[in-house]
Parts: sequence; C-alpha cells; structure tokens
Amino acid sequence: MNDTTASRLKMTRRGFLGTSAAAAAAATFGQPAAFAAEEIKFWDMVWGTGAGYTAAAKELVGGYQPAGDNLGVRYQSVPWANWYQTFTSAAASRTTPAVSSGAAFLPFYFIEKGVIAPADDLIASIDKAGTNDFLPGVLEAMKTDLGYAAMPWSMDLRVVWVRKSLLEKAGVEAPTDWQSFIKVGEALKKIDVVGLGLAGGSTTTDGQHTVSALLINNGGGLFAKDGTLDCVNDRNIETLDFLNELVRKGIIDPYAASYTSDNVTRDWLSGRIGMGFGQTGLDKNFPTEQQSDLAVISPIKSPRGDTGTVYYINPLMMFKTTASQASSEAFLGWYLDNMKVFWEKGVATDVPVRKSIADLPILKQNANLQKSIAEWQPIGKTIGAQAPHPFGALNAVDGGGAGAAFIQQIIEGKTGSKQILETLQAALEKIVK
Amino acid sequence: MSTTATRPRKLALDPRRAGMGRTLATAIVTLVMLGPILVVFWLALRPRLYTDITGPTLETFVYIFAETDILLWLKNSAMVSTLATIISVIVAAPAGYVLSRGRGGAVSAYSLFIFVLQSFPVVVFVIPLFIMFASVGLVDSLSGVAIIYVASSVAVACWMMSAYFDTIPVTLEEAAWIDGCSVFGGFVRIVLRNSLPGVLSTAIYAFLLAWNDYLVALVFLRSDDRFTLPIGLQTFFQQNQTDWGPVMACAVVMLTPPVLIFALLNRFFSIGGIGGALAGK
Amino acid sequence: MTGLALPAIVLMVVVNAYPVIYAGIQAVHDGDLLGLGNFVGFANFQDALTDPLFWRSARFTVIFSLCGVFGSWIIGFALALMLKPDFAGKNLFKILLLLPWIVPIVVSSMSWNWLTATPGSLLPMLAADLGFGRVMFLADPTMAMITVCIFKIWISYPFMMMMMSAALEGIEPNINEAARVDGANARQRLRYIVLPMTARSTYISWILMAMFSVNDFATIYLLTGGGPVNSTTSLIVLAYRSVFQDFRPGFGVAISFLMTAALVTMSVILLRQMRKANMQ
Repeated sequence: MNDTTASRLKMTRRGFLGTSAAAAAAATFGQPAAFAAEEIKFWDMVWGTGAGYTAAAKELVGGYQPAGDNLGVRYQSVPWANWYQTFTSAAASRTTPAVSSGAAFLPFYFIEKGVIAPADDLIASIDKAGTNDFLPGVLEAMKTDLGYAAMPWSMDLRVVWVRKSLLEKAGVEAPTDWQSFIKVGEALKKIDVVGLGLAGGSTTTDGQHTVSALLINNGGGLFAKDGTLDCVNDRNIETLDFLNELVRKGIIDPYAASYTSDNVTRDWLSGRIGMGFGQTGLDKNFPTEQQSDLAVISPIKSPRGDTGTVYYINPLMMFKTTASQASSEAFLGWYLDNMKVFWEKGVATDVPVRKSIADLPILKQNANLQKSIAEWQPIGKTIGAQAPHPFGALNAVDGGGAGAAFIQQIIEGKTGSKQILETLQAALEKIVK
Repeated sequence: MSTTATRPRKLALDPRRAGMGRTLATAIVTLVMLGPILVVFWLALRPRLYTDITGPTLETFVYIFAETDILLWLKNSAMVSTLATIISVIVAAPAGYVLSRGRGGAVSAYSLFIFVLQSFPVVVFVIPLFIMFASVGLVDSLSGVAIIYVASSVAVACWMMSAYFDTIPVTLEEAAWIDGCSVFGGFVRIVLRNSLPGVLSTAIYAFLLAWNDYLVALVFLRSDDRFTLPIGLQTFFQQNQTDWGPVMACAVVMLTPPVLIFALLNRFFSIGGIGGALAGK
Repeated sequence: MTGLALPAIVLMVVVNAYPVIYAGIQAVHDGDLLGLGNFVGFANFQDALTDPLFWRSARFTVIFSLCGVFGSWIIGFALALMLKPDFAGKNLFKILLLLPWIVPIVVSSMSWNWLTATPGSLLPMLAADLGFGRVMFLADPTMAMITVCIFKIWISYPFMMMMMSAALEGIEPNINEAARVDGANARQRLRYIVLPMTARSTYISWILMAMFSVNDFATIYLLTGGGPVNSTTSLIVLAYRSVFQDFRPGFGVAISFLMTAALVTMSVILLRQMRKANMQ
C-alpha cells in the first residue's frame, strides 16, 4: 500500500492536472478508489483470434501462483472498440490497472506523461536470470529517454500474402518488385480479383498499415531521421504515384475506401482478394483446409531497389497505479515466460518476439511464419520511420482522422500525390507538436 | 351518424375492402422498412464461422447461451435500465408538473436550462465525467452508469410528463387544495394517479435509452461481471473480423425485451404533445 | 410548488456542472487528455472557426440534420396517417414499424454495412442488376453522405410516427367528417385541417429532432466513421475525433461549445416564433 500512497503523492506534486483552481479541485476529485490489496489487475486487449485468444489468456492468468509476498492477478479482457477512450479516461482518473497490454504506441505516450513505470528493472532481472532471448532489435524499439516504455510480447508485422490458386488461375507468378506487382495485379484484375486488398474505412487502421509498409518499402516514411514530420518527400511521392497507378488500373478496389477490417477479411475468404498486405497470421482467419492456399512471398523491391515494411510491437505496460510494483514485475516476468501457449494453441496471429517461442516445433513447421521472421522482420520499421525510436505523438498518428482521410484520398485516386501528402502534413502538424 | 345513411349503398362494402387494401399496403411498406432488421435475423440463423453446419440453424443461439455470459449481461442490462427508468420517472414527474402548471420567469428560465443542458453532447464530456465519478467510486458500477442514463434522459422525460399533465384539468387539484390538500399531496393523489399513460410513456423512453446505450457503458464498465449487453456484444468483435452469427443472435436477444414491452404497453405509449412546456402556453 | 422541480435540477447540476465547467476550462487551454496545458485564450475557438474542416463538417451537420428532421417527419407522418383508420393488423404494424428505433444502433449499423459495403452486398448487386452500374454506397463521398442521411431517416422515423400519431388522435373526428361531407377531397383535408391542427406537434418534433440529429454521434460514427475523406464528418464526430484520437481536447470541446451555442440560439428563436404565432 505504501507504493500506492507514494506514487499518488508524486502524481499530485507533479501538478498532474495543471495549476488553476478548478484543476486543483479535479486533482482532489481524482483520488483513486481504494485498491483491494489481495490482487492486482491485468487488462488485456482482444488479440489474435478473438474469443479463442481471450479464453486462453484467461486460463493462463488463472494459473498464476504468486511467489512470496507478491499479489495475485485478476484478468480483465478489454474490447478494441474506442480503446483510446478507455485508456485515457482511466489514466486521467488514475483508475488504470497494474499491468496492461495495449495499442503499439500507447506506452510511449503514457511514459511521457508519467503514467507508467519504465520496465528497466524487469529487463535487468531477465538479463540476470539469463533468459533474455528477445529477437534482435525488439527491446531496443521500446527504449526511450525515460527508460523502456513497455515489454514487447508480440509483433504485428505486415507481409505480402497471395492466394496461390488465384495467381495460378490468372497464370502469373508471385511478384518480386513493384513493376511485377502491377503485372500480377493486372492479370488478377482480368479474372475479377483484387490485387491489393486493404481496408480504408475510418474505423480501421488496416489501410494505413498497408500504405505505411509501402512508404517504408521505398525508403520513405512520415518522419525524418530527427523525428520531425516529413510527409512530403520524393520517396513518398513515388510511393503514392505507384498506389495511384494501382488505383487507375483497378488493382485497388474503389470500395475499399469504406471497408472495415471485417469487410476485407471476408473478401479474402470469398476469394475476391488475391494479394495484399496482412498480419503474419492472416491464414488463421481461414478454415483449416484452405489455409495452405495462402502464402507469404519474399519482400518486394521498390524501383530504387529498397525493401521494407511496417511493424507494430504489441506492448505490455506497467502502470503506476499498481498496489505493488514488485507484484506487477513478478507477474509480467512470469507472463512473458509462459505466453507461448498462445502460439501452441494457435490463437495468436502475430509474430512471437522471443526466440524460445519462435523455435517452438509448431512454429518451425509454419513455413509462412518462418519466412516472415527470416525475410520480413529484419527490414521492418515502425510508422515513426525514419525516426530512430518511437515517441508519444505516434499514438495520435496511428488511427487518427488525418490518417484515414489520407488513405481514402489515395483510394479515391482523384488528387495528385504531392497534394495528398501536403494535406496529411498539414493535418499531422496540428497533432504532433 | 346521420351522414352514413346518405351514402350510396355500394359503399357499405367498401370499408372492408379498403381495410384489406390498407392491410396489404401497410404490410408491404412495413416489409421494406424492416429490411435491415430481417438481415439481423437472417444472419443470426447462419452457422458460426468454422462450423460444418450449412443452412439456417439455431446453433448460434445455443452457443451464446451455453458458452457466453449472455444471461449475466442480460441481468445487468435489466438492472441498469430498470434502475435508470425508476429514478428517471421519480425525478421527472414532479419537475414535469412544475413545467406544466407553473408560470412566470423562473419556470421559463428552468425550461431553458433543461434545454441547454440537453443540448450538450455527452460523448465529448466523458473524461471529466469519468474523473468525477471515479472520485466517488461510481466507476465500474452499474449504479454509476444508471445515474448517467437518468441525467441524459431526464430532460425529455420532464417534457413528456409535462405534456401529459397538460391534459389533466387543473380544476381537479384546485378542488383538492380547497379540501385542505397540500400541493405535493394534490400532485401525487390527483395528478399522478390519473397519469398512468404519461408515466408509462416516460418510463419506456428512459428504458430504451438505457437499454441501447453503448458509448457510456463502454467507458464506465470495466469488469466482465458488470458488462451490459451492448458491451458483451463487443467481445465477439475480433481484431480483424467479426463472428456475425453470435453477434446477431445476441442482437435478437437484446431487442426482445423492448419489443415485448412495446407489445404489452403499446396502447399507453404516446410521446405526442411533448414539450407543451417547451413551447410555452 | 417550484420545489417539486428540485430533484431534477439537483441531479442535472450535480452530473453536468463539473464536466461542463471542466470542459470550459479545457476550451481555453492547449493541453491533452492528461494535463490542462497552458492558457491560450480563445485560440481554440479561433482555430476551429478558421479550419476548413470545421466548416465542411458544419455543412454536413446542417445537411444531416435537415434530412433527419424533414425526411423522418415526412415518412413518419405518412405512416401515422396510414395507421390512423382501423384495419386488420393495425396494432401489429404499429409495433413492427417502431423496430428501427428499438434495435440497438450497434446492431443496425452492422446490418446496414452488410447491405451496402462490398460489391457483393445486396444493395450494390441490386443496383447493378437494375442498370445503375457500380454504386458505391459507402465508398463514394457523395453516396456516403446520402446513405448516412437515409440511415438517419430510417432510425428516426418511428419517433416522428409516434409524435404525429398522437397529434392525429387529437383531431376531432367530426371535423374531418364534416369537411368530407362538404366535399373536401383528401388533399384539401390534409392541407386545411390536418396540417394546421397538428402544427404545434410538428414544430416541437422538428426542434427535438434537430437537437437529436446535431448531437447524433453513433449513427454516423458506426456506419462510416466520418469518411470517406471526411465527407460524412459532422461537428460532433469532428469534436469526438479531436478529443479522443488527436488528443486535442481544447479544440474538440471548443467545437462542441460552438455547436451547442448555435443549436440553442436557433431553437430559442424558433420557439419564440411559435409562441408569437400562438400556435395551439
């Protein structure tokens, strides 16, 4: 309980809500409700295959036996719908749980705001135990000036998938670069199949993931090396010109401008989409007998000869609202060591970030996943590309209205590439201060 | 009616034929209007993803009752909505009485005050509301959510009550006052007792608002065991796709109680004449 | 007697005062959701009023609300007239026709998506079969505006139907009958008897529906999220996105204050007009 009081005092001292009289009143109002000392809370998003994942996670956490004085843990599933609202209101009122998974850039925002505790101590203890087998670069991606913002647990890596039977029907081989991508797309178009499936609707980020992947593919991105906004550059313009060609040739479906992630998944299932970016577990959405029809291809080269894609590291963060930081760390350490069941049971759709999990026999047999890890993961970057490490403002860029309008303008295909990027730059400048 | 006698004789048959025609026409219009709702039923009868069943099935209903907490969600929804409805009526009835009978500047100001508050969009103010409720322990609590529902329905509820009270002659209370009855006594014993339809209409409005809300519940309810139906529905939404069968089956379960309520209380329900207070006399 | 209004007043003040005052403070600061930030005066209001997206959203708010009000009124009134005489199944139809209002919007938005979103959906296929070619109900900016407005009308007409049914009950059957005997045809009876006698309910229902429409977040957000390319972004959607997705609560709250001010002003003027006309 001492920990709670201490962190509470620290929060108040920091002038959490500003200095005006009303804000001071708010701070008094914002006292957290007393915590039941017996257990700490773990919030978990609905990852992977949904209900199946949640059941597995609940079962896993249910089996946690805290050692020594550490507190037990209570599992709480959190729906994705309006997640930013859930987390920001909890943080503003200090009713966040002890540990939580969440969207990729949330920890970077929260650590800047002093809401979460850095994971440095936990990483030190994992190092000490000699069990640090995180894949290269993954932990570094969590590092900020204030310490490690969170622990990575899996990676949403975007790779190009094709449906083998549809390519065969169109009489083409998988593309190797942008030029051949267009050729394959045109062939698919002839048999009424979409060559770049994506969901561009305003309530999903799928389309933004695809476009980000292609921007990075061409060595571009929305941010410069010093972390400032840099939407309008030659590489990005080239990428948008490429996308515009896809739109004009009907390789991108105009209906995609309003697609939800459900709409696009269903088009994959029905065979309307033959090619496109997806999570490494895209095949898990299909009935077992059709899964072998899907294949991950090797990274495609842009005209400049570059390769690249986008990834999102799924984080587990520790909030300062915990009843005991030691308990949070003990649980999180245990969870990271035991979460392999998600891949064993096939309920995870993302790439594991620990070698011990990536080497599981069941994953070794998964050729698509192995190809993704071997060929795609090393060339991945976050949407903060080309910036060296992620930062809090990315949280607003990922999934905001500006990004949605950007994708929809691309799919609409009526505006020049440079102008689309200028509009995006102007909109993001208001958000990223 | 003397006029009927003057009509030509062949018209005597007409009402029935016209009646049948009207039934048919209304049926067609209803069918068109309900198209999107038929979709809900149609999807609810489809098998779940990854099952071997083909053709219409009730399997989704079996699944949601056997495998999910739908009964708990149903119970929570029923509790929140009932609580919100009762408080809403208790608070709105006397206020509506004031709007109905009161005159003068204070009442006009009050009327405007209600209107302005009702005009504020709740979604934008959710964070301060949440901070406030967290400070008094009403977050993740069914009562907390119920209070917000009352606050969002009370304005229209006041107008509805007031509109109904307008139809009750003021002379009835005046007689009671002369007999030594207090204002409050007169209101309860005379006015309220004769206002069952008004009360029921208001109750149904408040109930529906609470029953169907999802934005407030999504932010304020945090534990599985306190989820209401619209939030329970969210658990079927996966990151990339939605299992429509169970969602739509839940939807069917969800719209059953309001439909039953309407079917039973239909003849009492009326929101017409609302806001006599709003427009002034 | 005014004391009887106290519980309602207290409840509304208790629940609303803190959030509204807090939002008022946010509106003149440049903070994010976790901190107030610096005092910036009316900069947020200025930003809003000079942002082209604000005016675009204001325009769509007006279109959406006008459709919501008049579209649903026309359909609701027509159905109320249709359901006025006695005929077989009348009560059943009355309940069935209320369903769009009863079905949770989370669900109806999904079924509308199912009907319209993909080229393989029912309505695009139907449109193609009827020779309209490729109709993109949600993906084309103009069509998306139309679809959202129709969705709004569909959700709102039951409310209007109930309002107008009640108003029609209030017309003495004798008057209508007398007019019929005097040789007034249906259109004349509607024009000179039914419309004037239900005018009061009509105006009130317009004002209420305008209020519901301007503040309607769920209908738009769940169907299109405000897209494509912001074509269906109304002020409330813009305010929501500014607050929760862009982390600019000051800007978002400023928008909602401007919106509420416009709404209240407009309604008060309308109500005053009604009072002046002494409509009964």
